[in-house]
Amino acid sequence: MSHVMQIKTQVRDATAVRAGCVRLGLDEPVEGEVKLFSETVTGLGVRLKDWKYPVVFNTTTGETKFDNYQGHWGRQSRLDEFLQAYAVEKTKLEARRKGYSVAEHRLADGSIKVSLTVGGAS
Amino acid sequence: MKTVTVIVSPEGASRVETNGFTGDQCRQASAFLEEALGLKENEQLKADFYKTEVRDQQQARQSS
Repeated sequence: MSHVMQIKTQVRDATAVRAGCVRLGLDEPVEGEVKLFSETVTGLGVRLKDWKYPVVFNTTTGETKFDNYQGHWGRQSRLDEFLQAYAVEKTKLEARRKGYSVAEHRLADGSIKVSLTVGGAS
Repeated sequence: MKTVTVIVSPEGASRVETNGFTGDQCRQASAFLEEALGLKENEQLKADFYKTEVRDQQQARQSS
C-alpha cells in the first residue's frame, strides 16, 4: 500500500446524481428553482425517501441546501445514504472513463468497497 | 497488480487507498478521484511511497 486519503463528498456531477437516484429507486432529479420551506434555491433537486422538501445540490459550487427541520421533515440517514450512492456511482463513472476495471462489494458495517484495477476494463 | 480501492462509508465519506504503486505514481493514480469526489481531508503516505526515493539516494551515495 502506498497512499491513503480521506475525502469528504461534494456533489458536483449531474450524471452521477441521476445514477445515485436510479440506484436508490428515487425519482429523476429536477434542475432549476426548488422551493424549500422558507426559501427558493436553484440547483439539482432530489426527493429523498420520506423527506418533506427536496435536497438541492449546486453542481457548480458543490454546495448542498435542504430544510429537514432538524430531522423532523426527513432523517439525516436518508441524505447520508444518497451521498454514499452518489460517491459510489461517481467513482465507477470516473474509473470507467479511465479504462479501469471495477468491482463493488458491500461490507458488514454498511460501507461499500469499490475496487479499481489499473489496466483492465470491465 | 496496481489497484485503487475506494471505501465509501454509510455517511458518504470516501477513503481512497492505492496499492502496488511506488513513489509518486500512487498520487497520480488517485488524483482523478480526489478531484471527482470532493474535498481531501487528510492523506497518509505508506512505506512504498518512499521506495523509489530511497533507492535513488542510495545510488547517489554509491556513485559519489
